[in-house]
Order: sequence, then C-alpha cells, then structure tokens
Amino acid sequence: MKKIFIIIISSLFAVSSFSQDNLTALQYSMGFGAGNMHDFIGAASFRGFTIDYRNLVQPNIGVGVDIGWNVFYDEIPDGTYEYQNLTISGKQWRYSNEFPMLAAMDFYLKPDETINPFVGLGLGTMYSLQNTDMSAYTYEKDAWHFALRPEIGVILDVAPGMGFMVTSKYYYGFKAGDLPAQGYFTINVGFVFIP
Amino acid sequence: MKKRILFALFIISVFLVWGCYPQGPDYIEEMDVVITNHKDYDFAGKATYAMPDRIVKITGNLVEGDEPEFIPDVTAQKVLAQIDANMQSLGWQKVDVSAGPDLLLAPAAWETTTIYYYYDYWYWWYGGYYPYWGYYPYYSYSSYTTGTLIMTLNDPDMVAADGNPILQWTGAINGILTYAYDVNRVNALIDKAFDQSSYLKTN
Repeated sequence: MKKIFIIIISSLFAVSSFSQDNLTALQYSMGFGAGNMHDFIGAASFRGFTIDYRNLVQPNIGVGVDIGWNVFYDEIPDGTYEYQNLTISGKQWRYSNEFPMLAAMDFYLKPDETINPFVGLGLGTMYSLQNTDMSAYTYEKDAWHFALRPEIGVILDVAPGMGFMVTSKYYYGFKAGDLPAQGYFTINVGFVFIP
Repeated sequence: MKKRILFALFIISVFLVWGCYPQGPDYIEEMDVVITNHKDYDFAGKATYAMPDRIVKITGNLVEGDEPEFIPDVTAQKVLAQIDANMQSLGWQKVDVSAGPDLLLAPAAWETTTIYYYYDYWYWWYGGYYPYWGYYPYYSYSSYTTGTLIMTLNDPDMVAADGNPILQWTGAINGILTYAYDVNRVNALIDKAFDQSSYLKTN
C-alpha cells in the first residue's frame, strides 16, 4: 500500500513539474464520522487540519497531494468491550486518529474569477489508529486503508497570491488490518497561497 | 516569505491539535472497571453454591506458611451480602460448604501500588558538561493504589491436571482505592459484574 502511494505521488510530481503554477492550502478541519466510525465515535471532531498542494498542469486542472490529521474523541460513561468469553465494562475514552495521505486531482470550474468553485478526487492511503481506554488499560487497533476521497470546494481570491478556501471532503478507507471500513466527512476552512 | 508563513502555520496547526489532544479520567470513580470471564460450563443445570464469611487478602505466600490476612469484617459483610443478593437473583441457593454445593464462590481482595518516577533522565549523561544550563538532577515520584475484588466460581468435582481448581467464572472489580468504603460505588460494581454474566442464571 505504501509503495503504491509513493509511486502515485512521484508520478504526479513528475507530470506537474512542467507547470510553474501551483497552490498550497492549509485548512482547519472539522470531522463527522460515518458508518463504522460513527458507531465507534458518534461525536464530531473539532481537532484537525489538512494540507493540500496542487500543481496546475492546466489552468483548470490541479494535481498534487492531500495530507491531513483528524482526531475523533468521545467518552462513553458505561461502555463494554467484549472478546470471546471476556467482558470488560466501565467508562471508556475512545480515540480515533485518522491520517489521510492521498494523491489528488481537482477541476476548477472558474479559474480566472474571484470565486472559483472546484471538485476533486483523491486516491491513496489512510492510516487509522483507534484506542479504547478503560482504567489503566488501552485496546488498540490500527490499519493502513486504501482510501478514496471526493471533494467539493471554493477558492475566494481575496488578494494577489492569497485567498480563502472552503472545502468539504469525504474520506473513505476500505476494510484493512484490524479495522472495518472507515469513513468520515470533513468541513475545512483556511488559507490558500498562490505564488 | 509565503513559504515561511505557511510553514509557521503548519507547525502551529500540529501543536494546536497535539496540545488539544483529549485526555482521560478526571475522577477516581472513572477508573473503575469490571472484568468477567467464563468457561463453557453448564451453569443452568446447577442450583447451590457455598461462600466463606470472610474475604481473604492476597498477600504473602500461604504455601510457605504465611498467615492469611482478611479485609475488615464490617466491609466484608457488605460485600458478601451484595454478592449473595446477586446470586439469589440468578436463582442460586446459598448452602454451607459441608452440604456439598454444586459450586464454590471464593472472593478475595488484592491491593497493588504503582509508583511513577519523574526524572531528568538525560542529565546523568551530559548534564554535567553544561552546568550553565542551570539544570540539576532531581526526581520525584507519585503513586496510586488500586484495589481489586476477585470473585471466582469453581466446581469442586472438577480439578485440573495440576490439582488446582478450574475457574468456571471469574469476576474482577478494579479501581483506585480511597480507603473509605463507598458502599454505593462497590455495590454498583458488584451488580455490574453479575449483570454482564447472565449465563450464570440457573433453571
């Protein structure tokens, strides 16, 4: 999985290195679990950020990388953890750290205008690290998922070389390692730098 | 310039997420945990059990001749009464050990003190070479004591190859000890151990 990701990223940089235009965005990220992740942690995540880099191979096409970190956390007042004939109950502190690392491609709908909406798709890997803490014990599961990520967003060009960016992404990591499929939405706001 | 700003923002973001990383318990009661385990045993086909009227503390080595210690009777009677109430609600009848019970219920208590040391671990190596740093080796420690109440059920007619009884059910209640018996806290945990062991119910 990691080798595939490295090859994809290297290929994108090789293609995009002919372009002189690029953009880099750093955004605060809020996450909302879906499916299995929501079952594990129902609370929204307000701890996260994402970094996006795109080389503009065409005025309306950007390719690059999407890297992020979202921390999901919830407290279960009286949770139960079961394994075969063993049952452990008590207050649980649940953590889920998600680290998406994706190759990404965006299509900009109005690249020459102040408000530039876009759609994008990401492909790569997502590392999930889940902990269930009870008393002095922790039960840990992790996985490197093959991941997909559709995205919609808008760039607001407010000053030469700089703008605001608002995006919504859906990360979906397929079943892998100790974990079933993991998915979550994010809403992201931040700055975009365009040299 | 923009790269520097971006890099600074990135570093700030990492530290913000790391610094805001949620932490664990705030109160002693939040550290309480109930653990149960069982073998594939026909509990439903049994009816009687026996239990001692004292709770032994797991200390020393009885095999080597150490005298057994017991938790105070005032506390033990409350714990034993709560265990018996739960067993009765599951259909069990308490009998004397001389009456040939189907199962033996053996409660025991165990205390463990964990000590944490905080120490400038690097100082032993190069601290002396940089006295102007103003650091001096120091260490301090903190500790907590956990108490565990263990309840086991075993069939007196079933013995392992090594001669030890086979534990058909184990219930363990673990938490931070305060040395003040909180009847509500302990009773609730005993209830929980039996609530999550519905397979103990007899016919």
